[in-house]
Amino acid sequence: MADGNTGKVLRVDLTNEKITTEPLNMEWAKQYMGGKGLAARYLFEELKPGIDPLSPDNILEIWTGPAVGSMVPLTSRYVVVTKSPQSGTFLDSYAGGFVGPEIKYAGFDGIIIKGKAKKPVYLWVTDDKAEIRDARNIWGKDTYKTEELIRKETGQDYARAACIGPAGEKLSLIACVVNDLTRNAGRGGAGAVFGSKNLKAVAVKGTGGVEIPDMDGFVKWAKEMFLKDVVENPDHAGSITDGTPIIVNQSQNAGVLPTRDWSTGEFEGHAGIDSDALKTRVFVRKKACFDCGIACGSWSKVSKGRFKGAATEGPEYETIGLCGSNCGMGNIEAVVKFAEDCDRMGLDSMSTGSVTAWAMDLYERGILSKKDVNGLDLKFGNEEAYAKMPNIIGNRQGIGDILADGSKRAAKKIGKGSEKLTVEVKGVEFPAYDPRGSFGMALAYATSDRGADHNRAWPIATDAYGSGDPFTSEGKAAICVEDNTRTSIKWSFIFCDFYAVSWPNMAKYATAISGKQTTEQDLRLMGKRIWNLVRAFNVREGFSRKDDTLPERMEKEPLPVGKPKGHVVPRADFERMLSEYYALWGWDSQGIPTRKTMDSVGLADIARKVPAIK
Amino acid sequence: MAKGLKADKSKCTGCQVCALVCSATHVGSFKPSESRIRVEDKFPEPADFKLNYCIQCDEHPCVEACPAEAIKLDEAIGIYKVDKELCTACGSCVEACPHSGIWLDPSGTYAIKCDLCEGSPECVEICPKRVLKR
Repeated sequence: MADGNTGKVLRVDLTNEKITTEPLNMEWAKQYMGGKGLAARYLFEELKPGIDPLSPDNILEIWTGPAVGSMVPLTSRYVVVTKSPQSGTFLDSYAGGFVGPEIKYAGFDGIIIKGKAKKPVYLWVTDDKAEIRDARNIWGKDTYKTEELIRKETGQDYARAACIGPAGEKLSLIACVVNDLTRNAGRGGAGAVFGSKNLKAVAVKGTGGVEIPDMDGFVKWAKEMFLKDVVENPDHAGSITDGTPIIVNQSQNAGVLPTRDWSTGEFEGHAGIDSDALKTRVFVRKKACFDCGIACGSWSKVSKGRFKGAATEGPEYETIGLCGSNCGMGNIEAVVKFAEDCDRMGLDSMSTGSVTAWAMDLYERGILSKKDVNGLDLKFGNEEAYAKMPNIIGNRQGIGDILADGSKRAAKKIGKGSEKLTVEVKGVEFPAYDPRGSFGMALAYATSDRGADHNRAWPIATDAYGSGDPFTSEGKAAICVEDNTRTSIKWSFIFCDFYAVSWPNMAKYATAISGKQTTEQDLRLMGKRIWNLVRAFNVREGFSRKDDTLPERMEKEPLPVGKPKGHVVPRADFERMLSEYYALWGWDSQGIPTRKTMDSVGLADIARKVPAIK
Repeated sequence: MAKGLKADKSKCTGCQVCALVCSATHVGSFKPSESRIRVEDKFPEPADFKLNYCIQCDEHPCVEACPAEAIKLDEAIGIYKVDKELCTACGSCVEACPHSGIWLDPSGTYAIKCDLCEGSPECVEICPKRVLKR
């Protein structure tokens, strides 16, 4: 099909070992584009409300988008969509690398997987077909080895695989899906959903192509956009020179760098983990995802000392903040080791860093004894104990068995006041920005559709990192609403986060891909439709204002130093932002979209299926 | 002196946009499997990229190996190109090339290699890190 889509969806029933191909629902593709939007529409339609996310009833979707595999810049991502076992909400988790385009080249826009295999299997997708293969020899292996074995077994040196490590097999709720060694669909526990289905990997090799209506005209324009709007775009300068680690010093200066389990926002050891440390101590070379002129990733390797030989891509800012400063770790080499082990285990480094920091906090407070933590001296910054944690968690050994399900569930087992110390929303640990120094992030975390998150709204860009006031509730709701709308569209093309693509350019890309005139207003309406659809999904699962909360520490424990010194996120400010946010979205006081709002974005049919929407 | 593409491989980030633009130019589809340049990412070890393309070497063993005389000199730009009509896809050129610069298209119907886009290679123009040069 010459509209960016392959026009085909692969359906896999693991219980009955049945594979079918069906046409893409074009009506839905028009209304929801691809990626997040389209996957959400399929999930809303096909998933029974209230099911256990780790039961065979859950549905696992892997989607690309109409731009993936084409020359629309920075469109390498695929998305894993399912009901999250960590948050209980809708989950969309993205990864770059090479899997997304490969799925398109194999002839599919999306893959919908249901049921549970009797024994470990992997899905092998090639041109226009797929088979369920025995994975008993691969089960138990780390993600690096898994990719290697799949390539050996399929005889395809460049087969690409979205796979799980031991953490996903053991149903860790912070297990992610890993591809190309270091690219992760990280958040929300998608790896555990793979594991619950006895699905080790979705591996793919395709030789087909992607086409759009006016190939010649588009290629000419895309080349220009690739150079002018990507390579030479001033908004990308930091991503090109440094990548995300450039944010370490921004956060340190703003006093929002999570440090020693969120006890402060400035880390005295920041110079040991910032972008300069990375560049001078472990940097090997720049590494890009498919179709990217930025190459924000850095391949890093430790050349000497205790962690000699450890290597990873990154570490990225979120990993540095949560596995570095938040664990009191000021040594980039130790963070490289920790990050590599998270990837190998198939653990979300963000949540793994967070639960490690939280366990260190409990240990230092005496809530956990040395015996409780596998005999380790789990003090903040103790490299030796720290570096063991990803393997302990991924393999569910001792304390790892408790931490592997995230801090919220772990606290229920540990008790003794540890419940008051968790820093999460809906069970998903915070990203690496302290909201006490950026009130906008407090709202972003509380209202994200998949638990605490920075990729649905990032108001810190204009408050703590920009010229805005970080300590006011004013104006933050409008920023979050705009960001929600824009990211809903970006994650449906699927664009990379790091492409600072404007609305008018997104409209031009949409027009070129579909061959139909598409305006910014069309896309904005679609973005609103997608965000409301996902909200309706979560409402159907029972979520409302009562769940859009902040952890108690953010309200009661002031930050001790730096710009946010003395600040908490006051309850009144938080509630004001939340009410304003709901009002701007056209939701009622409990955060439920109204019928009128649903009608206005083309979701009347969805509204009728959710009893709480009136 | 070889007249083909030159690459400063140390600057390559493995984005493969060269393969994308190459396939779009040659077969009208975003289809890296039909690209005349191939990027292999080799990680975690040796943490390197391998770029496969025809360097237009002076020895051109592919030309000598071809039983169908399908690889002919294009005098206008002074390089050897595959004549798709004459090629029988026997694979002799693929075996003869010591540079991994020529291979069969995915359907196995003819050999493909870099033709320098009539003299101004698209991949050189778009390469974001200026790895490729003419």
